[in-house]
Amino acid sequence: VTGGKPRFWAGVDAGSRVIKAVIFDSAAGRVRAAGALDQGVDQAGLARGLLLSLLAETGLGRRDLGAVVATGYGRAAVVDADTTITEITCHARGVTHAHANAAAVIDIGGQDSKFVHLDGRGRVRDFSMNDRCAAGTGRFLEIVAGRLGTPLSALGAMAAAADRPAAISSMCAVFAETEIVGLLAAQERPENIVAGVLDAIASRVAAMAGRKPAGTVYFTGGVALVDGMAQALERALGQPVTVACDPRMTGAVGAALLAAEGARKSPAAGGGSGLAARHGG
Amino acid sequence: LRTQAFEERAATGGDLLRRHAEAGGDRRLAALRFDPSDAALRLWDFLLTEEDRLREARRRGWKLVGAMKDLGTVPVMAFALPRTAAFYPDGAWWTPCLMEGRDRLFAAAESLGVDASFCPVRAMLGAFVTRDRFPLPDLLVCSVGAVCDDFSAIAQRVAAMGHPILWWEMPFRRAPERGETAVTLPGGARAPAGLVDIVRMELARVRDALADLAGARLDGARLARAIRCANAIRRQVRALRACVFRAPLAPLPALELQIAEMLLPHFCSDRDAAARVIADLLREARRRVRAGQGFGAAGDARLFWVNPVADLRAMALLDACGGRLCGTDFLFTHALDPIPETLPPLEALARSALADPMVGPADQRARRIAREMRRLGAEALVISRIPGASHCAHEGSRIAEIVHRGLDVPVVEIEVPSVLDPVAPALRTRLEALVETVRARRPSAARPRSRRTP
Repeated sequence: VTGGKPRFWAGVDAGSRVIKAVIFDSAAGRVRAAGALDQGVDQAGLARGLLLSLLAETGLGRRDLGAVVATGYGRAAVVDADTTITEITCHARGVTHAHANAAAVIDIGGQDSKFVHLDGRGRVRDFSMNDRCAAGTGRFLEIVAGRLGTPLSALGAMAAAADRPAAISSMCAVFAETEIVGLLAAQERPENIVAGVLDAIASRVAAMAGRKPAGTVYFTGGVALVDGMAQALERALGQPVTVACDPRMTGAVGAALLAAEGARKSPAAGGGSGLAARHGG
Repeated sequence: LRTQAFEERAATGGDLLRRHAEAGGDRRLAALRFDPSDAALRLWDFLLTEEDRLREARRRGWKLVGAMKDLGTVPVMAFALPRTAAFYPDGAWWTPCLMEGRDRLFAAAESLGVDASFCPVRAMLGAFVTRDRFPLPDLLVCSVGAVCDDFSAIAQRVAAMGHPILWWEMPFRRAPERGETAVTLPGGARAPAGLVDIVRMELARVRDALADLAGARLDGARLARAIRCANAIRRQVRALRACVFRAPLAPLPALELQIAEMLLPHFCSDRDAAARVIADLLREARRRVRAGQGFGAAGDARLFWVNPVADLRAMALLDACGGRLCGTDFLFTHALDPIPETLPPLEALARSALADPMVGPADQRARRIAREMRRLGAEALVISRIPGASHCAHEGSRIAEIVHRGLDVPVVEIEVPSVLDPVAPALRTRLEALVETVRARRPSAARPRSRRTP
């Protein structure tokens, strides 16, 4: 606690595939600790375990945390959170913390994708979401990797080796998988199929953009770590796309920043159920 | 007020809704949050007892008219006749929501080839199969043409089952051409006089069929009286909307307001009782405004909502996410406008019917929505698509584009299925994000605040 105000704040991004958490040091203006765990059945327990491990790693106690903000698909399950904020707002905040010039954010996660337009002051101006079809999400990449018998981490290198990306025209992941089976039967090179899949995801995300952002577009979420995806988005959007700093943690960082900036419990939140509130002394 | 939800007051017949939830099997009612006022409980009871009223009317020898694909024209005519009641068979689309999809209506429709690729109104076809949702009407009247393709397909299937339908043609409302005689419709749109003539002639056929059914003349005087009655109810609903939309705190939840508005086109089978129910609700809303009572908080995001939802819980979700209604367009805005009382009645009804937003260009509807949003100070727009409904397949994106261009407010498009459980988390995220965005865009906003997910 500095000057009567807490110094450390936590953000938990409970995604569909991975839970991410950070502890943010507001005095130093940087992340003090960060970690991730695969999502599972006991979402509340996993989030709590991750948060406690970060506290242990940093030598902090529960009472040192000012507040915990949860975001992501499973945010409601993070019972230790003082409040929840959607991943749209959190990703926007996480990006503008590291990249003040951001005009838009693309977040492609395990089961949805989002295009967030920002105003000149780093606030969300408008957003679009695709959560109805897996074809524009990381889940599609998992399906493709499984079908091709290759690890997810190898997809980027495969796409880079493509000589002529295949055309994947189906708008649905299930039909697209059928299309891929057909391409394999026609002896299309797997590299070209992977490159075609990246282009297909990119074109779906670009369709959500609406107007063209006047400035830099940053790319967050686990799919941003797939080599070649940002380039596919650039081709689809017709403008540069920059992978955000530590893109998988952006939502958690944004949540922690918003915690530090005073996201308070709403009247609907119930009283003091958060980890920090209960253990803060 | 919200803390009192679920506590039905014994003094006003507190078992009203429990009766529907337990005896009637409308199990989803147990999970809805209700406005606990007497007026709102009467609204719910009025909605949920429609079948009882229809069966009682049949028992007393009244004639029943099923007004299909009709948002406020044929019911006005039918209620002009003695011992005649109109109802809206399409209203069965809410049954799967209330019954948690356990009443076989969709399965029955699917058995006739009308599957989930059709609008949830296909539940109506199922109701004609199971015959346990409403008594079979003595006359079925259905508009066709520039309305809804998939509804026409569903109604054709009803006809093929041996239920004759009186079809009447609704032309597409195009803009008048240069030099063409044009008239102004209620709501302000202009249309060629020739189109009004077509609708008037079609309505004359409907008038004659209704008169034959009732065994009574449906003359101008009767129609004029019925128009005045309908206009009185429209005035009450407009007053209710104005009260709810402009109050600092919403004096009614979004859910109850939607249901109140849905009484407007068909009067829920009883025009005079509908008038009393709406008058009660208006009185209660005004009382709350005077007392400074309401739902939510003063800073709730002011959202404009487009299209009705098949699962009523979507409206409750709006409130729970920190939003409030400040305007609606539930597809029947023409039924809010007064039917002209200075014109010959059939001409007036024809102009009113042709003002239906569904039968004109999407751009006209979008521009009216944008005007209303500006007038009411809306901070964002929610466009709720109806799954499978052909009339709104592409309309949503056009509305979004025009509103975005004209008002520069955030817009979300959602799709609400008949039972929303599978999409509830995604729906909540969109609505919460919209509310956060609205708050962040306010000039005085610091960083966004949020509310804990209940």
